[in-house]
Amino acid sequence: MDEQKIFEAMINILKPYTKDAALLERATRDTHILNDLKVNSARLVDVIIKCEDVFSITVDDDEADTFRTIGSAIDLIHAKLN
Amino acid sequence: MLSFRAKALLMFQNGLGRLMAVVLAPFYFALIRLKGYRIRDLKTVRALCRREFEKHEGPWLICANHLTMVDSPLLSYAMLSLWMHIRAYRWIPWNLPERNNFRNPFLILLCYLSKCIPVQRSGPRAAMKQVLAKCAYLLSRRQRLLIFPEGGRSRTGRVDRENFAYGVGRFLDDNGQDLRVMCLYLRGDNQSSYSTLPAFGERFTVLIDVYTPEKSALTGLRAQRDYAGQIIGRLAEMEDNYFGFYRQRYRGPDRSRQHREEWRQPVSAAGIHTP
Repeated sequence: MDEQKIFEAMINILKPYTKDAALLERATRDTHILNDLKVNSARLVDVIIKCEDVFSITVDDDEADTFRTIGSAIDLIHAKLN
Repeated sequence: MLSFRAKALLMFQNGLGRLMAVVLAPFYFALIRLKGYRIRDLKTVRALCRREFEKHEGPWLICANHLTMVDSPLLSYAMLSLWMHIRAYRWIPWNLPERNNFRNPFLILLCYLSKCIPVQRSGPRAAMKQVLAKCAYLLSRRQRLLIFPEGGRSRTGRVDRENFAYGVGRFLDDNGQDLRVMCLYLRGDNQSSYSTLPAFGERFTVLIDVYTPEKSALTGLRAQRDYAGQIIGRLAEMEDNYFGFYRQRYRGPDRSRQHREEWRQPVSAAGIHTP
């Protein structure tokens, strides 16, 4: 799966957890999931679990800590898929 | 993994807190009494806690609902007598207060001497990992940890079964069978929603439930979510119990014969859960 497709899937995954949908429309790889999208830190775990389901991967605790920006999440998912 | 220096600093904090407990515990108790706060059936609550703590030395994870900023000292007051605060200092649970709530140097000092490990929600991961490592170390030393599993005060005034933090699940996932969970439900008669402080002269009900979570078949983050969900579910059940029985008993308009009979019973007669 290429990075653009992962990016689009990530945006879909983040939709239910982002209070302001407009923030997602402007999202880039550098967008910080907690600070810029205002996703509740407790819900970040739900985002990661959703990613595990969608991409059929497993993310452990240490890897979950790298889920800070959309780009870092994409890099992790891309590395796991390839 | 906690460094030797961090372990030593934590034990220094524990030692200093132990020395200062002679002064601070009466200070907290006096403040609680001056504010007019009273816990119903206090002796029974303390006896139950004591019995459980004597049965199992530790580690304990004490999970409570969260409605006011003084829930931690109130719960400590409810669980242990003044004498036990001084004699059995290790029975006082460690707390994880939000760092941003303690900006005043006096409060920071008070927090430090009162077995608190400040945590910054949504803060740097390294700092959060350090806090988790400290908690893991304390649990490995059979200490008690007081946690508010919702991750903050209940914004709706009720235990939120949907939007809760999963952090508490991590402790259960990592510490296995030896870790016991004590769920505490604390609520004042006039507490309709969350607030900074309870109303002056508030009367509190405390429900206790010593609980062994079901071993999760899941792993990783899902297991943490599962464990956290179990504890939140338990607290929500206790809340249902509180509203179904106590709230009506102490505040409700019910003046039936059954109500009058219930009124004569101590809280422990029907409400405090035991294993």
